[in-house]
Amino acid sequence: MVARSDSNTASVIDYSRLRVLVVDDFENFRLSMRQMLRSMGVGHIDACSDGPAAVQACTYEAFDVVLCDYNLGAGKNGQHVLEELRHRKLLRRTSLFIMVTAETSREMVMGAREYQPDGYLTKPINQAALNQRLGALLQQRAALKPINREIDLENYPKAISLCTRLLPEQPRYRTWILKTLSDLYYQVGDYSHARRIYEDVLQSRDIAWAQLGLGRILIAEQRYPEAIDTLQSLLEKQPDLIEAYDQLAQALKLGGKPGAAQKVLARAAELSPNAILRQKQLARLAAQNQDPENASSAWRRTVELGAHSIHDHPDHYLGLARSLSDLAEDDDSDSGRSHATEAIKTLKLITKRFPDAEDAQATGRWLEARVHWGQNRQAEADAIISEVVGTEVSGSVDCELELARTLFTLDRKQEAKTRLYALSRRYEGDAQVQAEIDALLDEPVSFRKRLKARRLTRQGIRAFESGQLRKAAEAFREALELVPDHIALNLNLIQVHLKAMDSTPDAARVTECRRCLERVADLPENHPQQRRFQALKSKVESLP
Amino acid sequence: MTQSVKPEVPPRAGNEHPVEFSMIMASAVHDMKNSLGMLLHSLDELRRELPDQTAESRMNTLRYEAERVHGDLVQLLGLYRLDQDSLSARLEEHYLPDFIEAQMARHKPLLDGHCITPDIAVGPLSGYFDADLLAGVINDTVNNAIRYTRKRIRISAFQRENMLVIQVADDGAGYPDAMLDTTRQIPTSIDFQQGHTRLGLFFAREIARLHRNGDRYGYIQLSNGGPLGGGVFEILLP
Repeated sequence: MVARSDSNTASVIDYSRLRVLVVDDFENFRLSMRQMLRSMGVGHIDACSDGPAAVQACTYEAFDVVLCDYNLGAGKNGQHVLEELRHRKLLRRTSLFIMVTAETSREMVMGAREYQPDGYLTKPINQAALNQRLGALLQQRAALKPINREIDLENYPKAISLCTRLLPEQPRYRTWILKTLSDLYYQVGDYSHARRIYEDVLQSRDIAWAQLGLGRILIAEQRYPEAIDTLQSLLEKQPDLIEAYDQLAQALKLGGKPGAAQKVLARAAELSPNAILRQKQLARLAAQNQDPENASSAWRRTVELGAHSIHDHPDHYLGLARSLSDLAEDDDSDSGRSHATEAIKTLKLITKRFPDAEDAQATGRWLEARVHWGQNRQAEADAIISEVVGTEVSGSVDCELELARTLFTLDRKQEAKTRLYALSRRYEGDAQVQAEIDALLDEPVSFRKRLKARRLTRQGIRAFESGQLRKAAEAFREALELVPDHIALNLNLIQVHLKAMDSTPDAARVTECRRCLERVADLPENHPQQRRFQALKSKVESLP
Repeated sequence: MTQSVKPEVPPRAGNEHPVEFSMIMASAVHDMKNSLGMLLHSLDELRRELPDQTAESRMNTLRYEAERVHGDLVQLLGLYRLDQDSLSARLEEHYLPDFIEAQMARHKPLLDGHCITPDIAVGPLSGYFDADLLAGVINDTVNNAIRYTRKRIRISAFQRENMLVIQVADDGAGYPDAMLDTTRQIPTSIDFQQGHTRLGLFFAREIARLHRNGDRYGYIQLSNGGPLGGGVFEILLP
């Protein structure tokens, strides 16, 4: 209908060589789509009616275009299909995935996080609309094919130089090229070039994707307060921009505000409840924030969404069971019992849905033992744990940590420690694993006790800072009753006593200092508190 | 002593189940909109399978009315989201020939039915706007123009005084005076007394206003005359 004046970009598409897959659960829609495609001259048309069949078809054949309906009835929807195809690399970037939908595209995009389709077609679709839309997308694909080919080959520097070359030649695809180029710069770690693109775009207009990109760069550069400002101001203008919530949560988390990060992610999950990876992120954050109520509901949703998703994973089931176990521990009320029942049911699903995931199944068994114990079913718990007594440390880190946690709970402290020390030796150079082991040794107690100990610790620190030494000592002492082996806490108490004895030594205080030192005497060489320990130890030893 | 019976107050359902009425409405509208989408699709198929010319004009009426209701529902949902404060324009750069062509393709069956070949005058121009929101406005306007024109429709896009103008003109009788007047006022309410609620215009104005660049806002303009001598609808974006 339009005479194109920029004819240098308009190449003739050879439809006869095109391979197209139509995915729709309605037979008459598949038929009419086939008819329309055929009248356009498309040479090869396949069709299927559900998600698994679509994935299967793409496994055996490379399609140029997938026209996939979003709503495919029960089971996988179009977004699941897209995620699986991209995740399993069954769809090249040089191909087109077009989501066919009865909704407006805005609502669809809300669900997606990493994977977005190349285009949308809104039902009802007629011949002219299909011609126009498919033609325009194929033309764009043809013009940008050199770039996409290099991205498919993960040859990013080459893709970058192609982008810069095509940018002035292809004004029609300017936005696409700028987005891709800035993303490529980000991928290769060239933040200053990426930033320049965003700032240039923002200079002429308030464009959301550029401000979002800028926020992402600021996060990568660890400039968290600026990132938070940028993303918050973006969200004031565009409260429905889900990706901005994700980035803001990331900035807050890395910037040391995990509580605020959790709130932001919860808001995003509320606006767009179907994105499994976001739910998972929220669940993890809530668990880290010692918030088992919200962690369990986010994990529950993650498990539900996993049913049809390529991202389904045993960790989700373990996460749900773990937070339920925290909630159920030593709680024999109705709600405690039902949490325990749900936890065990969830763990059983692991064996059913992941029959080959032996490590996750073992982890699940240790968790199950803990749930039984928390409900006063010691015999069941012991029966599970007895199979592991005296065996070598052999599971994954997560599995061994879970086992140690359970052994502590079941009052088998020595076994727990022996295993953790063995684990520590096995992962000597791995700081992350060492930190997790240390954290568990510090606080090998139930969720509720852990929370209480932390609250007391904070009180103690506040009192110490305001010079109320007696109050500080009381708080630390009370916390140590809950977690006697906590390294930092023992050292804190010593520090309070040393300060109080600035002028006059006190026998009772010295005795308590020595007891604290004894408790942490076997501190490993590479423990982060080692230097502080040595300094305090020599001070205590020099006391009369 | 008379025994007084205390009248029992029926429990208010609204308090127990705080489901907002507007949300029920929105869900129902959503459902109806999807059904109409299917209906339109079937109509287009039917038209293709029955080349018989005798039903042509009734087909046109069906297509027009169904499209009109569909458009109304889309806009109703938009208004709901405006009301919920969850609608904001997502500005991106779009290539106008592609955008306008995509909108016109949607109306091809009805245009063919009326034997109208639209006159499209869009240069290789890019503009910043929310394509989803603007598509609703253009669809409604074009559908309306097809209904009221005699034989010609002209859609064009151009730059005027630092604004992007998308214009839809026809050679029909033009807008009634009353309508031209109301658009000069700031829209406040929808007049449900009249047969035509002008929901479309109200919505178009709101969508235009969501487009903002610095301190400049978008707006719409109605006039008569123009290139084809009929009604002229213009949406101007900063």
